[in-house]
Amino acid sequence: MAAVRNYVPETLDEALLLRKAEGAVPLAGGTDIMVQGKRGIGLSPEIGKPVMVISSLKELKGITMLPDGSVEIGALTTAAEIAESLIVPWHVRMAASGMGAVALRNIATIGGNIGNASPKGDLPQPLILLDAEVVLISFDGERRVLLDAFIQGSKKTDLHDDEIIKSVVIPPHDFTYSYYRKIGMRKANAISKLSLSAAAVVKDGLVVDFRASSGAAGPKVIRSREAESMIIRRPVEDIPEIVPDFLEAWDHAISPHAMPKYRRNSTARMLTRFLEAIVNEEEPGIVE
Amino acid sequence: MYKEIEFRVNGNKVVYSGNPLTRLVDVLREDLKLIGVKEGCGEGECGACSVIKDGKLVTSCIIPVGACLGSDILTIEGIRDTEKGKCLITAFRDGGAVQCGFCIPGMVMAAYALLESNPNPTERDVRIAISGNICRCTGYDLIVESILLAASRGGELWQQ
Repeated sequence: MAAVRNYVPETLDEALLLRKAEGAVPLAGGTDIMVQGKRGIGLSPEIGKPVMVISSLKELKGITMLPDGSVEIGALTTAAEIAESLIVPWHVRMAASGMGAVALRNIATIGGNIGNASPKGDLPQPLILLDAEVVLISFDGERRVLLDAFIQGSKKTDLHDDEIIKSVVIPPHDFTYSYYRKIGMRKANAISKLSLSAAAVVKDGLVVDFRASSGAAGPKVIRSREAESMIIRRPVEDIPEIVPDFLEAWDHAISPHAMPKYRRNSTARMLTRFLEAIVNEEEPGIVE
Repeated sequence: MYKEIEFRVNGNKVVYSGNPLTRLVDVLREDLKLIGVKEGCGEGECGACSVIKDGKLVTSCIIPVGACLGSDILTIEGIRDTEKGKCLITAFRDGGAVQCGFCIPGMVMAAYALLESNPNPTERDVRIAISGNICRCTGYDLIVESILLAASRGGELWQQ
């Protein structure tokens, strides 16, 4: 007894029409919507709105390297495909390979993970670190928005009523140091308790670029440009004396509501470890 | 009236004309009577309902049937009489992998998906492959050994 109608568009145009005319919610992989609308054995999930299953739309699949070195990932590309791709930046591959377990990674999509906008979502965190943009499509055309601006809060996005997430574009980077860590209850099938990505470019003893992003530490992924700017364009030798103020600034930026002390301490420890690699001029690459 | 959703299950054509949000596990168990597919958590967390969709392992409790348009679905019933299926099932039996048995169809499908893509897995590969399959009898070691047994016994079989 479905209260609302659900649809299976077979082309992107058909999906855009359903989106505009019926306000149908796009279901990409279904790993969030099918659970949110769960009603039990033998009953079809319902979320109180019409849903369109867009899983089969070929137009929204695939990973492409653009001429400027950016990587474009179609909204319906799965976590498994992202984890296995050699052209997807390291931070994003790490996050994709740590999502759920094998079967979930074969279903869950990047577009769904962004559209669901959970602060615990695995992919937005590294994507925001890398200044990724989301491409939104409607009958009126396309628009590109910085992902950090598109996700406005917990489960809140700037997706217009007639739009569908088309793809994500990640600009190229060449980091000297990279860091990624997800903390969960167990390795497989764990929702993130806390996560952190960080990256830096160091040239001739100067920190040219420094960035970090915190997942599951507030209503959305947190990147504090203010805290980052304390480190950027500073000589490596000055970093040790900046660290306490930087950590305090980052601590102000995050706002974990559950187990705040644990989340704040762990965040500070991860950032400290990353900064230590820069200060000690460790071998460039992945910081563990 | 809902649009017809056409796909294949164990090689047979299926046409579903109900709500596209109907869970694949319900279509398999209730409509097609493929009750080897088990439902545990209903949230994609336990792996009991695992089937293979277009060559990839998926949890059928969180797949809407609408996402199966044009897909090939393989369940435990579709592999049990094949050479590969018999190899796995015999190894599970000989290796003492089965206790209560509820997780086993999902475990076998996860093992099948692994060996199809990686015929010579390490123990670590096997543990990752079944990391989404929960056994509440906690007989993991014997399941892992049985999958490795199927890989070594099957040999060339898994290269095909």
